[in-house]
Amino acid sequence: MSARADLDSLPGFLAHARALEEEACARYLELADAMAVHHNDEVAALFRELASLSRQHAQEILAMASQHTLPAIEPWAFAWGGDEGPETGSPQDLHYLMTPAQALELALGNEQRGQAFYARVGRESASPQVRELAQEFAEEEAGHVAALERWLARAAETPAGWADDPDPPQMPD
Amino acid sequence: MAELNAQQAQPVARDYKSEVKPVWCPGCGHFGVLNAITKTLAALALPREQVALISGIGCSSRVPAYTDVYGFHGVHGRAVAMGVGLKAARPDLTVLVAGGDGDGFSIGANHFLHACRRNIDITYLVMDNEVYGMTKGQASPTTAPDWMHGSMTPSGTRMRAFQPAAIALAAGATFIARGFSGQPNDVVRLLVAAIRHRGFSFLQVLSPCPTYCPEQRDWKLAVRAFDEEPTDDAAEAARRIQRDDGMSTGMLYVADRPVWAPEHDGAGDLATIESECLI
Repeated sequence: MSARADLDSLPGFLAHARALEEEACARYLELADAMAVHHNDEVAALFRELASLSRQHAQEILAMASQHTLPAIEPWAFAWGGDEGPETGSPQDLHYLMTPAQALELALGNEQRGQAFYARVGRESASPQVRELAQEFAEEEAGHVAALERWLARAAETPAGWADDPDPPQMPD
Repeated sequence: MAELNAQQAQPVARDYKSEVKPVWCPGCGHFGVLNAITKTLAALALPREQVALISGIGCSSRVPAYTDVYGFHGVHGRAVAMGVGLKAARPDLTVLVAGGDGDGFSIGANHFLHACRRNIDITYLVMDNEVYGMTKGQASPTTAPDWMHGSMTPSGTRMRAFQPAAIALAAGATFIARGFSGQPNDVVRLLVAAIRHRGFSFLQVLSPCPTYCPEQRDWKLAVRAFDEEPTDDAAEAARRIQRDDGMSTGMLYVADRPVWAPEHDGAGDLATIESECLI
């Protein structure tokens, strides 16, 4: 079964949705651990909270998919439109001194890409059932986007000089 | 893929991850490679006790600690030699050697050459960030000659950078590929193919160092997929490699050549050992 065909079947679409949330959860946990190792505890805690939300979404999708046998799709064969899931984000966007606001911006980008993915499937899938479900998911993601925007609005602004470190990792020879 | 039978209990990537948290800098490309390694092992459904991950010294060489398979974190530059020895003694194991450009192409270069030449059935994954990162930013063999941020090479290395794919091809590797850590799922595809390949598989993964080479954040804009299928013609592969700027990803060369394996299974009586080892 080709990756493209997977988005035209309900099991295939649900496999994508499940992977999207599970990979997002795994990535947030990875980011949280990286921040904790580098003593940025506030951002680590934030990433753990985001991981928990992604895990919850993944469980909701699994519950929805309980009547189906989801296909096993090779990691490189998902029809994301890019290499990784839309809510996975790039680990290159991390900085050991990043602020909560920057972490929330990263998360906001993830949710926006997730929404865009579902909206695309909602337009393009050959299956009316998949289109309907994808549109529902897109609306749900819109809710996540709005929640993150509110969260971001409450967060303290990133100050100038946020990346200044009086004891940087690069030691002079 | 038979291994991805959804009806069976399919392992997942986290089954191959240890509890040890990576100490890499946030933003390090090696996170993507670690993810690719664990996803690959899951995709191939390899029993953990049948996999050995061997490394040398450097940031990238920390991977064995972060995985839950057999691992050996060895001395600088000797990972390939250890991997060759292990495979010779235990041909039943899947041997994956991992390291960096400094470990693999400087102190370890000789082992690299002869492992390619031997065409032993192991996979060598090099996380190339063109710097000695662990020791805080010295030029490595793959550093561009005009990189002037190393305190020990303030005028640049003034040497042409080591060309890993070209060297691997000339030395006799039968599988040569390049990936980018910012595309970990594509690295999975390449690593699955590399492990399945019978013979010495070399996978160079461009893996940015955000701390000592912040300019490498732009690699994600520069990498692109090879626009050709891999070739089994060494001369054609050489032409493609020389034409390339080192930022193309995919399988470059896949060829079929006899795989080196020891003549004996490692067991024998004293007379045999004495006669063959000239004791």
